[in-house]
Amino acid sequence: MELFALEHKRLWRKTIVRICVVLCFVYSVIWGSVIWYQWPGFGSLNDSTDMYDNNFDGYYTIRDFQEQFSQFGDHWTDETLQKMVAEYQSYDVMDIPGLQSKGDWLLAYSYLRDLYPELEDPEGHQYMPLLHYADTSKIEGFYERRQDLLEHTLEATRLNGYLTEADKQMLLDMNSQIEEPWKYEWTRGWQDVINDLPSAGAKLAPYLAVVLAFTFSGEWYSNTAPLLHTTKHGWKKLAWIKVLSGLAFAAEFYALIFGAKVVVQLIYFGTSGWDMPIQYSNLLAVAPWNMLQAELFDLAFVFLGVIGYAGLIMLISALVKNNVLSLVISLAFIYVPDILAGYLPTWLKAASQYLPLVGNGTDYLHYNVFHIFGKGIWSPYMLISVPIIIGVICLPFAVKGWSRRQKA
Amino acid sequence: MELSIDRLTKHYGRKIAVDCVSATLTPGVYGLLGANGAGKTTLMRMLCAILEPTSGEVRLDGKEIAAMGENYRDVLGYLPQDFGFYPTYTAAEFLSYIAALKGIPRDHAGKRVKELLEMLDLAHVADKKIRTFSGGMKQRVGIAQALLNAPQILILDEPTSGLDPKERVRLRNLLSEYAGDKIVILSTHIVSDVEAIADQVLVMNAGQFIMQGTVPELAGRVRGKVWELTVPRTQARFWQEEVTVANYRHEGDNVVLRIISDGKPADQAVPCEPILDDAYLYHFGAKEA
Repeated sequence: MELFALEHKRLWRKTIVRICVVLCFVYSVIWGSVIWYQWPGFGSLNDSTDMYDNNFDGYYTIRDFQEQFSQFGDHWTDETLQKMVAEYQSYDVMDIPGLQSKGDWLLAYSYLRDLYPELEDPEGHQYMPLLHYADTSKIEGFYERRQDLLEHTLEATRLNGYLTEADKQMLLDMNSQIEEPWKYEWTRGWQDVINDLPSAGAKLAPYLAVVLAFTFSGEWYSNTAPLLHTTKHGWKKLAWIKVLSGLAFAAEFYALIFGAKVVVQLIYFGTSGWDMPIQYSNLLAVAPWNMLQAELFDLAFVFLGVIGYAGLIMLISALVKNNVLSLVISLAFIYVPDILAGYLPTWLKAASQYLPLVGNGTDYLHYNVFHIFGKGIWSPYMLISVPIIIGVICLPFAVKGWSRRQKA
Repeated sequence: MELSIDRLTKHYGRKIAVDCVSATLTPGVYGLLGANGAGKTTLMRMLCAILEPTSGEVRLDGKEIAAMGENYRDVLGYLPQDFGFYPTYTAAEFLSYIAALKGIPRDHAGKRVKELLEMLDLAHVADKKIRTFSGGMKQRVGIAQALLNAPQILILDEPTSGLDPKERVRLRNLLSEYAGDKIVILSTHIVSDVEAIADQVLVMNAGQFIMQGTVPELAGRVRGKVWELTVPRTQARFWQEEVTVANYRHEGDNVVLRIISDGKPADQAVPCEPILDDAYLYHFGAKEA
């Protein structure tokens, strides 16, 4: 424990580590949450459609939206959509798309477009045209229409070869567990939260790589091996201690960044709306989850990805003597699959999604199913478990790899 | 306690670094002498079990050290020839870190670190970062880390390099005092260091022990082969090319040469009492040494 504490302290006191943590905090929390919510994300529109011309008043704008959309009731019914469209049509100045997108008008529009295509005027060319002229008396049967559209979409996906009949049935079974009518409050904030968290996880990757890529390769530069190897605990225990302190750092780094992001989220959005279904983020999502469950999944996805990636980096660091090469290879695992996505065969592209912090954390909004020995597994289960498994498998090899080279 | 080296050999490809050396070491100070590339560091690394021998073995009280693992490392202290520090650590922090690696309990480690810092005259810089230290100070930190666990076997590779004369004398005294019932092996090419403190001297050349014995024994081997010759300054160069000159001292218009030679080099040469330096030069020659 003493050795772990000292090794852990040694890691944290490196200047590069502190710089990385500060930079990441500024980028992900100060810019990515505080300033984003306050200014381009939710600041009220000034006189242009450029979000960077917004006013610095997101906190109050969010409260206005929460208040404004509470008038449509606390459950989503045909009447909710009718009232929303009617309200929209009563405004004179609703040709301000920036402002519309922050409210739930875009949500209402997308539902009209997807579920009531017969109401659309092909000649219309205004932004969100349906909202302007849709006949509210014809907006009915929301859940039935959604079910039809879902079945149609799943069948089309099956016919395209992306799903089997069993997969389709599995997804429909999941969908049947969604409680209706859906709880409703202003959704835009929660949509932003659950879509932002997984991508924020990927932004941690370069910083994590810079810190951990030198875990073992750095020891070659410091030339401490002969000294360390003759101590009682020797290289093997030290290697494990290094691995554990690397993992501890990854966990603390994650907690610092994401803990702060959650606190900022609570300050800006509060907790209301946590029990709304994720179908507000994707109408045809089949997971019977609410926003809080989705956020917890996002947080777990990032956490397990961070730990998995830490394991991968440390393995690379143990196998590569050169610090720069160790860093480059670590970063390549994150960025190369994206860069080469267009050139990779489908199976390899799909497989690369299961690398830590590479895959799409919001896959629970989609229908991807992975097949292992003929059994269909919904992709979020794979996305959350495979990265950590990769990371854990890497750890003993990192210890072994380092020791093997030390004995050479 | 007995550390026995039995036909220890190390090959690097075709190069033979250590060639079938054997010795039995009991408590005392052993000086390992040899020119650069003689195989001293390779031998020491095998004695520390960081390097696997190509053949042969090292046993401590009959047990092979590789098999003893951490039990061997627990009684071992090692100062490598070139070793790195964590530059952002202070001397005290670095020693505490190594103490933890050596499995020394925290309470005891604190006292021991303080004691060693004082012993090696580092107490006043205990909280300064090692990167600000001079070469000699870093070397003393290295020596302190080797002594942390009060090792029964202390192996020091070139411990006096970088130390000023005062520090060298301090270290020699410290090692003499420390040795007692422990085995201390120090490698160096500074003969005077070995002469001052070594109970036994092992001289290495081309991976082999070419001489073993006490300082008087080894010096005694060249008795009758060490001469002092006073010649005019103009002849100094001639003698340096003709014979092995161990020392060269001006005396008025003349120079006094200390010559290592099997036979009397000149009629006016007078025999003198040999020292370890002479024995070393006799075997290696002035240029090689």
